[in-house]
Amino acid sequence: MAVPLARRILVYEWRRFLPATISVAFSGVLMIVQGALLLGIVSANALYVTQSGADLWIGFPGTQSADLGRAIDPGIAANLYMDPRIARVEALLLGAGDWRGARGGGTSVTLVGIDPRPDGVGLSKAMSPPVRVLLQEPGAVLVDETDLDKLATDIGQKAEINGHLVRVVGTTRNLRAMGGVNVVASLGTARMLDSAISASDSVTYYLAKVPEPRNISAVHAHLSSIPGSAGFEIWTAGELAGLSVRYWLLESGAGIGFVFATVIAMLVGTLITSQTLMAAVAASITQYATLRALGVSFPELRKIVIEQSGWVGAVGLGMGLVCSLLAAALARLNDIPFELRAGMMLFSAAVVLSVALVAGLLALRRLRHADPAALLR
Amino acid sequence: MLSKSYTVQNIRTDALRDVSLDLWAGELSLIIGPSGCGKSTLLSLMSGLSRPDSGTVYAAGVELSALSDAERDAFRLAHCGFVFQGFNLFPALTALEQVQIPLDYLKVPQDRAARRAAEALDMVGLWHRRHLRPAELSGGEKQRVAIARALVKRPSLLFADEPTSALDSTNGGTVTDLLRRIAHATGAVVACVSHDPRLIARADRVLEMEDGRLLRDRRPAHSEPMEPL
Ligand SMILES: Nc1ncnc2c1ncn2[C@@H]1O[C@H](COP(=O)(O)OP(=O)(O)O)[C@@H](O)[C@H]1O
Ligand SMILES: [Mg+2]
Repeated sequence: MAVPLARRILVYEWRRFLPATISVAFSGVLMIVQGALLLGIVSANALYVTQSGADLWIGFPGTQSADLGRAIDPGIAANLYMDPRIARVEALLLGAGDWRGARGGGTSVTLVGIDPRPDGVGLSKAMSPPVRVLLQEPGAVLVDETDLDKLATDIGQKAEINGHLVRVVGTTRNLRAMGGVNVVASLGTARMLDSAISASDSVTYYLAKVPEPRNISAVHAHLSSIPGSAGFEIWTAGELAGLSVRYWLLESGAGIGFVFATVIAMLVGTLITSQTLMAAVAASITQYATLRALGVSFPELRKIVIEQSGWVGAVGLGMGLVCSLLAAALARLNDIPFELRAGMMLFSAAVVLSVALVAGLLALRRLRHADPAALLR
Repeated sequence: MLSKSYTVQNIRTDALRDVSLDLWAGELSLIIGPSGCGKSTLLSLMSGLSRPDSGTVYAAGVELSALSDAERDAFRLAHCGFVFQGFNLFPALTALEQVQIPLDYLKVPQDRAARRAAEALDMVGLWHRRHLRPAELSGGEKQRVAIARALVKRPSLLFADEPTSALDSTNGGTVTDLLRRIAHATGAVVACVSHDPRLIARADRVLEMEDGRLLRDRRPAHSEPMEPL
């Protein structure tokens, strides 16, 4: 095998490539962690949808985000029950409450009323069926395991919501709300606790389960076309989740701020990576000029730089990946919403790697038009 | 008639004014003159490192001044050896690997390349230093490695730009003699540029330059007989 010049330079002069390697690692971590936090927080906004097993959601027309649902006309229910393609119809209620517990003082909570049957679809992914049936007892509520401290309560303890006595009978998973606190109760308990939804037929959403996935769009279309459909709107679970995420990202100040911070993180990482790598390549410019003088063609030089940038990128990304996994573990320990997804890691890796390659090639551009003789003076 | 000028910040320097010369194979031609008189410029035009503003360069039967950048790269790779004032070795490579690099880019198979590199290193008397990196070699040894790197491809043209000015006079003499022996033994055109008049006695032919012009062209009588390579 020929003398592997690119790797020899890299190994022998590793100190020169170290800053670039570390900045690749840091840009990688920065992008992955920012992205994971963003995804985590964003998906927290669609939790009611993503933690439920329903295929179609029927709610107030023009609802911008799942948590902003308003009471709808219950007349639609008849159409839902009649459709043979729908296996289950269930109501979901959103209300508000003022929690008073052991600590004293009030905490605003969001009341989520669900059907407490063991096979219910509302928030079915946030609790196990045995916990769910505990809600059948009047006054029973569930709070998220991450909110126990915030509410100064624990399983088995009592508290008041809007002046009514409740008892915490269990906890939910993955239902930590952004900002507020979710308290889950049965439909009946929720109506008892919040007078604004106390009417026995008030409903915020109807959830429908369509067992045959290929029927979903047909049911969707059919329901939208029935007379009186102006009083409600129908979304697939994906549509409503996407709507909620977009609303938070684009309409809420916090979302835009976070997106902005992520973009800045990417720019800073890109800039630092490219600058350090260009410096590393520029520091070897006389070696490349010597090769040019010896008659080595420009494409061959490009190969050397691409190989070196590739190694710098790969080693840096490896380091970055380890750090990201550590960050994910740290986030998990502290119950921070953090969604480390493979797609995002691949995307970040691709961005950082292409930045490294482009920067290396840009640094080499000086050699293309300058006389090698001038660089060797 | 070669001319070349550089313009830096709107100030034009005529590095070469209407220079015309022929170099012969099998001898060491020394181009001598004060610093800044255009010697390096002449060398880079003759070797195809850069292109003249006007005039033509013929080398090894090719009109070099008419070739594109990529074609001149290929020409240098195939025909030219270079020795630089600052050695310009690769810090990361051992002496043997330095010498093998040109053959790798000429796509010589590995076993043959390694053998030829070893022979070239032996020819400059550095076989025993083959595993050392430039940082571990003396200036004279570095320049001999550079010469081995230049001659390993058996070039028909060998250019040396001030090869001795970073060396003491003993090492400088060794290096110049080595260049001359290579010229005689391989029949290559060997052109060496220097501002050091002590080299005159060791050259077959001396071309004197001043201020971008060629002044004199002579053949010194030799005091020291050359031993064969
Ligand atoms: N790349 C360059 N850019 C600008 N001026 C140059 C360049 N190369 C050479 N010169 C100028 O051309 C003249 C001749 O330079 P050079 O050929 O290097 O002389 P020598 O090798 O004899 O010392 C000098 O005045 C030098 O400043
Ligand atoms: Mg010079």
